[in-house]
Amino acid sequence: MAAVLVGRPVVFLLALLRSCSGSFAAEMSKRQLTVQLNPGSTAPPPDGDLLHVRAVGDNDTLHYLFCSQGAPTLLLVHTNSASSTVKVDWPLFLARNTSGSLRVEPESSILYSTAVVFSRLLEYDDVNDTANPSDFFPPYELQSFTWSHLNLSGPVAVLCGSNNSTGSLCLQLSVFDSEGRGQAWPRLKHTVDSSQMLVWLDGLLPRANRSRFLLELQAVGGANPLSRVEVHQSIDDEFTPSIFKVSQWVSSVNDSSGILGFVQWKPVAYRQPNPSLENATPCRHSDPRPQSGQMIAAASGLIQAFYLGPEAFGLNVSFGIATEPFYSATRFLSWTAVVGVGSPPVDSFSPLVVAIMAVGLGTPVALLLLGGVWVCVRKKATDSPAYEPIN
Amino acid sequence: MADYEERRRLQGDEGSFSGRPAARGAGRPLPAICDPSRLLHRVVVLAFMCFLGFGSYFCYDSPAALQTQVLQDLNLNTAKFMQLYAWYSWPNVVLCFFGGFLLDRVFGIRLGTIIFSLFVCVGQVIFATGAIVNRFWLMEFGRLVFGIGGESLAVAQNTYAVNWFKGKELNLVFGLQLSMARLGSTVNMNIMGWVYSKIADLVGTGHTALGISLMIAAVTCLFSFMCALVLAFLDKRAERILHKEQGKTGEVIKLTDVKDFPFSLWLIFIICVGYYVAIFPFIGLGQVFFIEKFNFSPAEARAVNSIVYIISAPASPVLGFMVDKTGRNVVWVIIAVVTTLTAHMMLAFTFWNPWIAMSLLGISYSLLACALWPMVAFVVPEHQLGTAYGFMQSIQNLGLALIAIAAGAILDTRGYLVLEVFFCACICRQYFPSVLCVYRILVFQTSYLNQSAAVRAKLQKEAASDAE
Repeated sequence: MAAVLVGRPVVFLLALLRSCSGSFAAEMSKRQLTVQLNPGSTAPPPDGDLLHVRAVGDNDTLHYLFCSQGAPTLLLVHTNSASSTVKVDWPLFLARNTSGSLRVEPESSILYSTAVVFSRLLEYDDVNDTANPSDFFPPYELQSFTWSHLNLSGPVAVLCGSNNSTGSLCLQLSVFDSEGRGQAWPRLKHTVDSSQMLVWLDGLLPRANRSRFLLELQAVGGANPLSRVEVHQSIDDEFTPSIFKVSQWVSSVNDSSGILGFVQWKPVAYRQPNPSLENATPCRHSDPRPQSGQMIAAASGLIQAFYLGPEAFGLNVSFGIATEPFYSATRFLSWTAVVGVGSPPVDSFSPLVVAIMAVGLGTPVALLLLGGVWVCVRKKATDSPAYEPIN
Repeated sequence: MADYEERRRLQGDEGSFSGRPAARGAGRPLPAICDPSRLLHRVVVLAFMCFLGFGSYFCYDSPAALQTQVLQDLNLNTAKFMQLYAWYSWPNVVLCFFGGFLLDRVFGIRLGTIIFSLFVCVGQVIFATGAIVNRFWLMEFGRLVFGIGGESLAVAQNTYAVNWFKGKELNLVFGLQLSMARLGSTVNMNIMGWVYSKIADLVGTGHTALGISLMIAAVTCLFSFMCALVLAFLDKRAERILHKEQGKTGEVIKLTDVKDFPFSLWLIFIICVGYYVAIFPFIGLGQVFFIEKFNFSPAEARAVNSIVYIISAPASPVLGFMVDKTGRNVVWVIIAVVTTLTAHMMLAFTFWNPWIAMSLLGISYSLLACALWPMVAFVVPEHQLGTAYGFMQSIQNLGLALIAIAAGAILDTRGYLVLEVFFCACICRQYFPSVLCVYRILVFQTSYLNQSAAVRAKLQKEAASDAE
């Protein structure tokens, strides 16, 4: 009897662990990554590199294209063929005035494509420390920055640019062959269908003592551009301490096809190169607004080359809220987002939390039941002699 | 601040006191307000007694009240921030045993009170100075000095109360002092943010503004120090007029008693440590949690953080009365532990309004204090009571210091969910001793711990008649 009673929480624990590992195994799909810089080009292009990462799955391919011809742009093309390829017509591509100079073939295999353009960096003087963006300085147009060559190490590419002054804005693209989580905070979860973009602003001279910054992002797509931002609350802040929200910029769903692409981030930026709780600073985003496709095609070489009639939505991510330290305190800001196709990754409890809960709650319950049995037995034992004299 | 009030509430009646007003001195009659044997005069004295502890309770939680500002202005991580609480607890791991001894044998109650309130004052001033000059080690040192004074001052306050009110309105006086202590914490939680913002308007945010705000908080300590001076004067005067002796804590601490402690007492110690570490460190870290998770404004966050204290002020006497009337302390302890666990789980796993969870926490905290501390008196003989309570407080302070550091480190690396789960696990661990207590009771039906008040009264009567 005792075994049955005690067995119950143990079974519960096992079931919990099994469900954890089960879901883990189910999503352990992998992609084969092939990294290629300036595919098909004979010489490095003068105005910025084009990175192509081909992520081949079982029966589909994800093409990541990252380019600094103009404003830095990340383009994701999802195809339903494991053999689709990217073709670049380099003279046309570098001329940056015709659509179709970069194609994914066969064209019929394309399921979905989405792009993110890092178009402008905005700076404003927050005189009254309200963090209400106004009094803007002339914006930094990222298309007119001087961009370095891409610094590649495996599926990680770093791009830095500057405006002929001190300091730089850098972007780091990481593409993944398996599911996992970023090493540094905010430790965003990524799947095989998403890449991570880390943006940091290092040493740029602020134009006022109380400057705060905003980053302008444009989401570009052919048919279903990312058009609304959902903010989800989560009780789980294990991987990004003290942050209980996750924002995801997704395509508006009109039919039942679900979400096709997303940009996901947590509303936090860090004011030091080594992110920690004390240098975290909250960020906010504005509502996405429709933008002119032509303007963005003019700003970004990749958009011009791939899309014929691009549709775009733009939003600003602003760093810091009222009473938070100003940029001038550390002259550093970093912010991370995950860009991918399909549905955004959903965080789940880590095995650590599950284990503590199971042991913490399970053992007292087990003890209670075990003790109950013991007391019953003990009582019976003490009761029985009382009847003996009667016999 | 650790639960000294409970200890003195319980011990006060039992201690040996010789300070009863003797026959009235001959001579011309005094007006009621000046006559130490009249109620009106005692009320005046009571006011000073209550404010004697106000300063230390006000300043104890000043780091929690200014959590965001302290973290930001001094550029601390949470682990370092929690050191401020740990440094308060360290000296009290030892001092809990010697506070009474120092008062009785070395300084005497009057001088002792003045010295301890001076420690509190100086400690807070050092703490504030550390913030002004932005030296964290100086702030830690300030908290250490403050800690040396703080808990011992509570002992002194207790002794004064017994000395003046023994055999009269003692329970009411203890109740009022407890409420005053909670009031100090509550006012501090809700006012310091405002003070800081006003100072920041003048000198700009930064460690200077923080230091000045803390220096302003030190004024309450100075006020308490003046109360100590006035009390010393009034007590001396009463001694002259009434020919009474200086009060004594009556605490006799014998460390060799420890080996005679019954098993049940160790269980009570474990419950005590495990429970309080899930309350006080959480309040210390609560403000940012409510801001980040529940989108509270800083003022709201401070208010919800202080609700535990607000509730405990009126609830302690009421629940104490209830526990006294019903008995069955173990059941009440288990109820308190389960309620606390529920509250922590609500905070960890839901987005329900934290007012609910924090109110639950306030009630269960008061209930546990009322039910747990008297249990000590049931399981150890009266002459060991001082040692048992001293030991309990010492262990509690040790636990608080260690868990404060651990909690800060957990928050820094793993966030609030894991911290809350950790607290839940701490509370879950309380089931072991509580459940063990229950089993002992179920098996050995005679245990006093879980008997109803009626049975207890009967037993006491029997014991009394046996003695005759």
